[in-house]
Amino acid sequence: MDGSMEFTMGLSEGVAWPWPIAVYLFLAGISGGSLVVALAIRFFKGQTANTPLYKAASLISFVTIALGMLCLVLDLTNPLFFWRILVFYNFTSVMSVGVIALCVYIPLTAVLCLYAFEDEIKSIPALSILLPIINMLKPVRKPCEVTALILAAAVCAYTGFLISALIRFPLINTAVLPALFIASGVSAGAAASKMLSVFLFKEDMHSSELKILHGAEWPIMIAEILFICMIAMSLATGNAGAQSAFEAFTSGVWANLFWIGVVGVGFLGPILLNFATGKTFSHSAKAFYLSGVCAISGMMCLRLFILYAGQTYAI
Amino acid sequence: MSENIERRRFLKGMGAASLILGPMGCTSVEDDSKNANKPHYVMVFDQNKCVGCGECKEACNVANNLPDGKSKLLMEHQSGGVEGLACPHCGKEKCNCERKFVRVSCQQCKNAPCVSVCPTGAAHKDPETGIVTMDASKCAGCKYCIGACPYNARFINEETDVADNCDFCLNTKLAKGELPACVQQCKYDALIFGDANDPTSYVNKLLAVKDSVRMKPQFGTEPSLRYIPVVKLGV
Repeated sequence: MDGSMEFTMGLSEGVAWPWPIAVYLFLAGISGGSLVVALAIRFFKGQTANTPLYKAASLISFVTIALGMLCLVLDLTNPLFFWRILVFYNFTSVMSVGVIALCVYIPLTAVLCLYAFEDEIKSIPALSILLPIINMLKPVRKPCEVTALILAAAVCAYTGFLISALIRFPLINTAVLPALFIASGVSAGAAASKMLSVFLFKEDMHSSELKILHGAEWPIMIAEILFICMIAMSLATGNAGAQSAFEAFTSGVWANLFWIGVVGVGFLGPILLNFATGKTFSHSAKAFYLSGVCAISGMMCLRLFILYAGQTYAI
Repeated sequence: MSENIERRRFLKGMGAASLILGPMGCTSVEDDSKNANKPHYVMVFDQNKCVGCGECKEACNVANNLPDGKSKLLMEHQSGGVEGLACPHCGKEKCNCERKFVRVSCQQCKNAPCVSVCPTGAAHKDPETGIVTMDASKCAGCKYCIGACPYNARFINEETDVADNCDFCLNTKLAKGELPACVQQCKYDALIFGDANDPTSYVNKLLAVKDSVRMKPQFGTEPSLRYIPVVKLGV
């Protein structure tokens, strides 16, 4: 008797999670991604100094996650109720587990900022109250950084797990989504911290660290493309519900966002800027910033696409 | 040598642990038998009897003090025809000849996704009755439950700013020992409510003799709202 009766109406109209959540997923991804990149390079190269990349990444991770929290709180039906998420916990809920991770992660990004900007803080008398705190925290710098690295990756993955728990939406309810969000978070985080380290902290565009990042970007982008192909193929070859969700890639406004924003700007943009232009241009500051902006906007488009197209095509 | 001792200690530990954990495992069997005596409230919607008068919805709104324009249940009118095509029954393009109604409301899942995703435990199962209900004082309004519900049967109550769902009038009518408001109001006996675990209940006897379906069973949520469909093949 399966399928002998069905209803198509619902009690809630429109998407449950609108664009502020996409922005939050975007900001949390950048925050985690930039820290992952900077701390991985720091451990890999055994650095102890506060490099421009480290400064840029810690600043970005703190500011973006703080703005992300703002988006999250403002999206609640009543922002004044946000304390309830901090007081009540349910361990079967991905969101609740994520809140615990964020409760440790956000203060850690602030602590990393203190480490990174120790010299700057010393030079500003108004901030001298922070100096005893920095001195107190100095002995635990290494454990803090290791924890921050793990949590940064966890926060990237968490944004994927958070929405992949929505079983009604075939495009969102995929096992690959957390991996895709880690990859896209890392690539956008790397782009953001690269640009800020050159722009604000006067890192040389061709320094050894940025060279590693330039090299790592392409494999990460390939992984991203692979993950998106996995999702698309599993939908195209899946059951009727999955196949109807595959339309997200082929028709409608969200398909345009995907092909123009994610594929065109996010993937083709950096590739063309770096390989299709002359060597002088592709090594110039213009190409550097442009391809960074492309990577970040592509990631924002990806989150918007997944969230909106995903919620549009429900079973 | 030392490895052997380690192994012996390990085996000893296992033996001791099995002695302790074994009986504890048995207690879970006892729990299950207790659960069998717990009520499992189900509602049956009989499509053959529903005429779509909508009085169930009005009764619900009154009983649960819902704000204007919001309801815990909706009636979907299904005409059976496809838009733009002639009706298979009467041949007209616009007709109302086949009138079927479907109740749209919280399906009261045994495996409720809203309960498992709710970060604060506001969407929970009433420990006494097992009915999925809301603790409005815990809800943060994150709308995770609304996205997670496979039936789109949850909504934000604009008066309280928190999520809400049909909970069989748990805190209004059931608390007084009455039937849910919609069931009381239905003149056509299209709604039947009761404890499916009680062998003497009407709902139990009804489900034993009638074919009923559950919505979207592929999600594995095991809804407690059952539907008796109109089975009328051909013209």
